[in-house]
Amino acid sequence: MSNAIIEQLNSAVAAAEEKLKAATSENDIENVRIEMNGRKGIIPALSKEMKNVPPEQRKDTGIAFNDAKNKLQEFLDAAVDRIAGSSDSSGECDIDLTLPGRKWQSGRKHPISTVMDDCVSIFRRMGFIVVDGPEIEDVYHNFDALNTPADHPSRDPGDTFYFGDGRLLRTQTSPVQIRTMENNDPPIRIVAPGRTFRRDTPDATHSMNFHQIEGLYIDRNVSLGDLKSALLYFAHEMFGPKVGIRMRPHFFPFTEPSVEVDFSCIMCEGKGCRICKNSGWLEIAGAGMVDPNVLKNVGYDPDEWSGYAWGMGIERIAMLRYRINDIRFLYENDVRFLEQF
Amino acid sequence: MNLSYNWLAEYIDLSGYTPGELAEKLTMAGIEVEAMEESALVPEGVVVAKILERAPHPDADKLSVCKVFDGKDNLQIVCGAPNCDAGKTVPLATIGTVFINADGSEFKIKKGKLRGVESMGMLCSSDELGLDGDHSGLLELDDKLEAGTPLRQIFAGDVAYELEITPNRPDWLSHWGVARDLACLIKREAKMPKIGKLIAAPASAPAGLVSVEAPELCPRYTARVIRNVKVQDSPEWLKERLLSIGLRPINNIVDITNFVLHELGHPLHAFDLDKLAGQKIIVRSAAEGEKFVALDGSELKLAGRHLVIADAEKAVALAGVMGGLDSGVTEGTVNILLESATFQPSGIRSTSRELNMRSDSSYRFERGTDWDMVETASDRATDLILQLAGGELVTPLVDVNTGRPRFEKVICRFDRIRSLIGADIDNEEILRILSSLRLEVSELDDRQCYVTPPLFRLDIEREADLAEEIARIHGLDAIPVPPVKSVLGGMRKDDSYYKNQELRDQLIALGFYECTHYSMVSEESALKDTAFNGDDLVRIGNPLSLELACMRPSLTGEMLATVERNISRQNTDLKLFELGRVFCANKDMYPEERHELCVVLSGRKHPERFSAERGELYDFYDLKGVIESLFEQRRVQSFSFRKSKDGKFDYCAEIVVNGRVCGHAGLVNKAYTKGFKTKNPVFMAVIQADMLMNMKAPKTLLQQLSQFPSTTRDVAFVAPDTLLHSEVMDFIVKAKLKFLEKVELFDIFRDDSLGSGKKSMAYTLTFRNPERTLTDKEVNSSFDKLRENLAKNLGVELR
Ligand SMILES: [Zn+2]
Repeated sequence: MSNAIIEQLNSAVAAAEEKLKAATSENDIENVRIEMNGRKGIIPALSKEMKNVPPEQRKDTGIAFNDAKNKLQEFLDAAVDRIAGSSDSSGECDIDLTLPGRKWQSGRKHPISTVMDDCVSIFRRMGFIVVDGPEIEDVYHNFDALNTPADHPSRDPGDTFYFGDGRLLRTQTSPVQIRTMENNDPPIRIVAPGRTFRRDTPDATHSMNFHQIEGLYIDRNVSLGDLKSALLYFAHEMFGPKVGIRMRPHFFPFTEPSVEVDFSCIMCEGKGCRICKNSGWLEIAGAGMVDPNVLKNVGYDPDEWSGYAWGMGIERIAMLRYRINDIRFLYENDVRFLEQF
Repeated sequence: MNLSYNWLAEYIDLSGYTPGELAEKLTMAGIEVEAMEESALVPEGVVVAKILERAPHPDADKLSVCKVFDGKDNLQIVCGAPNCDAGKTVPLATIGTVFINADGSEFKIKKGKLRGVESMGMLCSSDELGLDGDHSGLLELDDKLEAGTPLRQIFAGDVAYELEITPNRPDWLSHWGVARDLACLIKREAKMPKIGKLIAAPASAPAGLVSVEAPELCPRYTARVIRNVKVQDSPEWLKERLLSIGLRPINNIVDITNFVLHELGHPLHAFDLDKLAGQKIIVRSAAEGEKFVALDGSELKLAGRHLVIADAEKAVALAGVMGGLDSGVTEGTVNILLESATFQPSGIRSTSRELNMRSDSSYRFERGTDWDMVETASDRATDLILQLAGGELVTPLVDVNTGRPRFEKVICRFDRIRSLIGADIDNEEILRILSSLRLEVSELDDRQCYVTPPLFRLDIEREADLAEEIARIHGLDAIPVPPVKSVLGGMRKDDSYYKNQELRDQLIALGFYECTHYSMVSEESALKDTAFNGDDLVRIGNPLSLELACMRPSLTGEMLATVERNISRQNTDLKLFELGRVFCANKDMYPEERHELCVVLSGRKHPERFSAERGELYDFYDLKGVIESLFEQRRVQSFSFRKSKDGKFDYCAEIVVNGRVCGHAGLVNKAYTKGFKTKNPVFMAVIQADMLMNMKAPKTLLQQLSQFPSTTRDVAFVAPDTLLHSEVMDFIVKAKLKFLEKVELFDIFRDDSLGSGKKSMAYTLTFRNPERTLTDKEVNSSFDKLRENLAKNLGVELR
């Protein structure tokens, strides 16, 4: 039994078979499938014609549709097997594997943030917690409470930015120490990262706007030795296990004894080079035992409590680490600079 | 401060310490050596040599031909000196030695012939080596010296150190002071210079020679009168000392006062007695408006708060800071008055700063001087004046003072000292250090003692100050390194840094480059964010410049400057952000300090790709997507973007979270970008970061995964251009269709065939019943109803 629909079905399937034998890719096969059996394909289109088929032919036509679909599926499966088989064995493909990939572009952390984050995470691991404070400070927290003499040159309007109301831009992160001690009982174990400001005219090594990180540990029986071990741990984490540290006596109003902490030069490993001015050492941190006057100012008994504090410049570490020769690059935000970090 | 190695060696034996080792020792003791400069050094290559034979030169009367042993070989050297006799030990500049001439040019010793006779080097006079002594012939060396010894080992030259002295240690501001401290460090004795016995001719001073009217500002003033001095050049040794630390010699009297200042650390001043009206000294406050011409020629108008040294009529010196032009010692001076005094440090400091007059004297007086050194320095200078300028001392020391002070004793508990330092330094060692520092120990028992500092130690007032000294002398390197004491550091919620880090890291993960700008900006930059006006700005009272006159109220201004700068440098594809603190003076608007987030997109999305993708530019929806991602990462669902107006944008949406506006996002005002060297639009979002960082994420509870399939229905319609996506979404959500899981926009386009002012929109609705497979019937009825209602209520034509 035959009619026009069955003929059209058979010839379409035959044509599909030819195309599938010639198919070389999964895409070719899929195109045949869509052409035949897709929503707008030949088979669905022909099946809409069923309503025009005389009733006596409908059964046979229905069988023909089933046969056609089954055959088509056979041819499709065979083609898929053939293609899969061939790619298994040959390893050939027709795309240029060397074309650039579609990158999932990653961003860049600013070197100041990278160094700051590194410092923070090292001290967090030692049990320090990060605290924060205002950048617009009062004279008491920035100077008085830190035992800075009333006529100390750092208070001079030539060195410190003041506002009309007598307040100032903090010149160090140390006021955060005072605020923390004022509001908490010892023991205290904090780091305070942040921006600080000094009235320096900007040049390659000076910036009126820079970043510091500062640490404070107050407890019973804290010693200069504890300071040394904490900073040695930091040095090893930050610059590697070969780096050594040394402490030199120094003077700061808010610590006594006061020390400067040098790290062995990360460029020359202490042998002496231009960066370390041939000394083999790099000045990294100012530190010391918290001055008894500072403890008294926040209501701690200096006979019961002792502690150390240290501070260091983030830009300095970033400049050493990445060999950045001009501090102003850090604030210029040239994309070609940023993308290197 | 400058320090000479040779000068220092006058007071303490430095043998065994090279200049470099000394620098290290000083630095590690807190006397930081900033720089070191070697000078007057014998050139390298000059060695000790023995003259074995001397013969006359065949062609020149004045030359000799010598056979010389340089420690290894016998060399033939032609020499013109009269004293090149066999058997003498002399310096030999070997082949290759380089001499530096006075004009800086070089002169190299080469193998050569003198009048036809070969010469293998040059025998040297002291002159040629830059040394003092007889210039007429070869420098004759000690015969015991071994041939071949480098001459540098015998004539070391000098080394000038530049020291950074911390303000708490004025006692280090002299050669003697450094020697005194070094004595404790290297355990050698420091010896004061010998001062001759001073005998005044008549035994009494003229009455009223010195009167002090302001004893609180000048606790001690001493004077001596020396008559008939001969002002002339200083002897070579004195000039050399001054030159070695960079001072210019002037005349013997002035040089002696300078020398003593740098030797003992105490400033002195010599007046020409005959230029002092009434031949007397009055230490008093300046009269208001009193005029004074200083030694350096500057004309000052003084005020009552300034202390002066005056004669009967006028100010002759700004006390402790600088002498007067007219009263100083000059070539014609015959009689002098030598001042040695102490002044109150803060008075000197404020005067010197206010008048911008600084000197070696004010530098020392403002840090504090040693009461007892007043007399010693005067003695030393007087002795030198009598030796080098002649004259006779006609008065004993006239000494007007408020009484010798005595410093408070300080407790020293040995256990406390050990605990502060963290080193097991025994009591004996502590006591040894204290006494080597000339600190007076009393009331000693086995737990503690009391310590009284000498008058030159102005820095010792508390036990911690003693701990510093003991740690310093014991050696900071000797402090053992204990294991790190690690304790639990508190709660994460109290650590504010996490929030900043998290937000920063999210933006970086989204592909943004982090920027950092100065907190200080110009007013123009500040007001780029039109949310603020001039009154809202926090202004700096003493800005460095107008470019840095106020605290940034917003990150907008500087971020746009960075965008422009990058574009002008051909970096046109930008994906930037900054998270930073901004400032506002208007408390009704914002707290004084807050965090802001500024995000910028401009240029090509995929500059690294090829084909069509390469040209795609960022548009508003890229920026919006970034903000949506930030909310999604915080699981914040109740946010929306509402059309808004803001001067820094051409068009913008305000970002609303829980009913509060937390920022704006849009196309940057073209007035700002019209000068940029690009036609690409610049999109920016400014977000109140504290709100974002502090958003509490709702609890995450697992939604059970359905085992049953979902089914989808698409609806497409032609809508007026004014119909917003959000209106469609709201409408569908409000219809509360049963089993509706999600609604997604999948197509939107405008086309001529749709007619003007129209767009086609198409949405996919996904339905799912978590308990069983949905039937078409269940979905169809509610979906068909929705279609009808969309057409009816939103005025769209279904397609
Ligand atoms: Zn180095």
